[in-house]
Amino acid sequence: MSDFIKSVKQENGIVIIETNGYLNNTGGEEISAICYEKMANGQFKFLINMAGTKIVNSIGVSIIIEIIEKLQEVDGKIGYYNLAPIVSKTFNIMGLTKYSTVFELEEEAINGL
Amino acid sequence: MPNEFNINELQLKYLELETLLDITNELNSFDQIPVLLQEILVKSCGVLNASSGLILLEDDNSDVLHIAADFNMDISSLKGLIFNKRKGFISEIHQTRKATHVDVESDIFLSKTNTKYALIAPLLNKKMLVGVLIVLDKESRQGISRFQESDVNMLSAIATQASVAYNNIKLIESIKEAKTFNDNVMQSIVTGVFTTNLMGEINHINRAATTIMNLEKEKVMGNHYEYVFDSNQLINQLITKCELESVTLSESQYLLECNGKSTTINISVSPLLNDINEPIGSVVAMEDLSNLDKLKSTFKKYVSKQIVDQLLENEELLNLGGQEQEATILFSDIRGFTSMSETMSPTEVVETLNEYFNLMIEIIFKYNGTLDKIIGDALMVIFGAPIANEADTKNAVLTAIEMQEKLIEFNQDRIINLKKPIRIGIGINRGKVISGNIGSKQQMNYTVIGDSVNLASRLCSVAKEDEIIVSETVWQQVKGVTNFKSKKLKAVTVKGKAKPIEIKAISYFKPAFHYEQAYGKVENFLIKNLPAEYTYHSIHHVRDVVEQCERIAKKEKVEKSIIADIKLAAWLHDIGYIWEPNRHEARGSEYARIILTELNFPKSKIDLITGMIMATKIPQSPKNEYEEIICDADLDYLGREDYIENSNGLLQEIKLNREITEIDWLNIQDKFLRSHCYFTNESINRRESKKQLRIKIIQEQIINIKNGTSRT
Repeated sequence: MSDFIKSVKQENGIVIIETNGYLNNTGGEEISAICYEKMANGQFKFLINMAGTKIVNSIGVSIIIEIIEKLQEVDGKIGYYNLAPIVSKTFNIMGLTKYSTVFELEEEAINGL
Repeated sequence: MPNEFNINELQLKYLELETLLDITNELNSFDQIPVLLQEILVKSCGVLNASSGLILLEDDNSDVLHIAADFNMDISSLKGLIFNKRKGFISEIHQTRKATHVDVESDIFLSKTNTKYALIAPLLNKKMLVGVLIVLDKESRQGISRFQESDVNMLSAIATQASVAYNNIKLIESIKEAKTFNDNVMQSIVTGVFTTNLMGEINHINRAATTIMNLEKEKVMGNHYEYVFDSNQLINQLITKCELESVTLSESQYLLECNGKSTTINISVSPLLNDINEPIGSVVAMEDLSNLDKLKSTFKKYVSKQIVDQLLENEELLNLGGQEQEATILFSDIRGFTSMSETMSPTEVVETLNEYFNLMIEIIFKYNGTLDKIIGDALMVIFGAPIANEADTKNAVLTAIEMQEKLIEFNQDRIINLKKPIRIGIGINRGKVISGNIGSKQQMNYTVIGDSVNLASRLCSVAKEDEIIVSETVWQQVKGVTNFKSKKLKAVTVKGKAKPIEIKAISYFKPAFHYEQAYGKVENFLIKNLPAEYTYHSIHHVRDVVEQCERIAKKEKVEKSIIADIKLAAWLHDIGYIWEPNRHEARGSEYARIILTELNFPKSKIDLITGMIMATKIPQSPKNEYEEIICDADLDYLGREDYIENSNGLLQEIKLNREITEIDWLNIQDKFLRSHCYFTNESINRRESKKQLRIKIIQEQIINIKNGTSRT
């Protein structure tokens, strides 16, 4: 487990990844590595708990988009919760929210994905 | 990949603008520099896709910068580096004050960051470099790359916004610091200060002012000065005039009355101006003079008021450093006080000494002496230090004489109050002394030391009670003074002196017994000690007897000096009631003998006075004309109009010890009046007939009661 990935758990068939820190190229690649590994094992639903991530850059976002693309091919889904306002705004501007869902809290995210 | 998934340039520009807008909007909401800098750095890195970043800020008063914020990087490699403004990339940006790319590998500082590319923008305050905003390694999906030219503009824009926000916070901090500083200064100064605004409302007040005004800050702030100083119209007038005419006004020694407290103050009122000299209110300063009064009062415990005032007016006179000078030293000592105090309670000892010292110190200050110290029951007084005067020695002798004279009167009071008299011996010498503040750091006192001081102390030891012994040096200085007389005494050998010392005893007038003062003292003693329940043998009766004694004696043509003794006997004739009512004449006589002996009365006079007291015992038995006078005076009321009032007083007093019926009381009066006779012609002529009339009245009353007829 890296500094950026705080925890990975599974609940109701959903893989929940908790991040901590800057979602940039490095962070994005750490998330994608977990997602692709889990997808290879037949798990296609992902939630990212971003409570510990206060900033993202466009490279991090582009990696998330790559993950969304892969998930669309297998009818999978990805969602996010506990977003800082600036992260939420960046996701919105970058068009991420059109293809994935932002939730407020974990319970809502688990039930809504 | 669908087209809609592509992140296009437009989205990125939109994100940049939004970020810049966010930064602009948010920056002014920060009031702490570390939080502000961290936010700027994080957002800068995010929007520019930088992998990490740093903000360096200048240290106060140096050319060195320090790491004020860092993001996503290990700064341990940078710790210990001195980011000098004149070195590396900082030197370059210090000169250009523009955002720039920096070649990390070749920079002495950034080469330690384990990065490749840096983009740096200056943080400026009035065109001066105060810090740098650094973003490192632009990220892409292909890896790390150099920042683009558009990134330079973006970072410049962010840095400009950050500089404004940073400078604002610094400004606010400096204003707060200045305000805190001003507040601290204002609160710590002893002068009371308050300010009013243009509305006349008090908008600032320091602690000293609230103390002087005896008001809590909350009760003053925001209120109009006319309301606060309702009872101090002068202050209102000063502030109003200052407001109208924009002039500074002051008033000295003004008695401020506030909230039940009176304080003498010096007050000044000045216009309060803004930075373009427009009036924005008034500033009022109040100096509490009671501290000065306290200083004076403390100082006055040791030196006279005159010397305190001289010293306060001219500090140069006060030489507290060590110096050799001439001075006259007086020592006084109570003779036999130790043995006297053994018979007294500790409280009595303290009370006695305090009464005595108060009296003596008043005299010392009257003649401008400086009370150097009180040693047990002894006093050491300096004349000539700290301020020298031509009359110092004369003043010392005058002090000694008055001390002895006042003590006679003081002792009269003590004797009458059955207390042991105080007798003192005094020694005076003049010579060279070393004066100055002498002692340790913990306790330092102004005093004089030297051989001359020791000799004065020795002379005091030589002096017998009531004596004033002076050295030849002293006598040579005062022998020309009218009324000063001396008696040469045998030279004395004192410790530390090889040759015997020539000494003289100063004569002084020992006033004769002052009857009038003694009467007053006995009267006070009676008032204080006669039992309050005595309705006949009260102070009123004693005063009446004294008055009648004087009247009868004058009519009987008794000589004045004897009249004084008769009056003294009259004052004392019932004093025994204080201790033994049943044998009060004998007890009073004993008391008189004791005090008159102490007061040096001749035995013949003591016998005369005690004889008069004893003669008043019922049945009266006068043995001479003076005893006849006091006897007649004692029962003068028997033939007076106020007989009823006096007899009623006596009846009440008798009833304190036993029940008595009306008829019994009438019978007692009848028997007493019939057995009584006046002795002096004056009383026989003036009172006898009325007394006989009174007998008749009483006898009629007795008959009426016996016949069952009510008395009218």
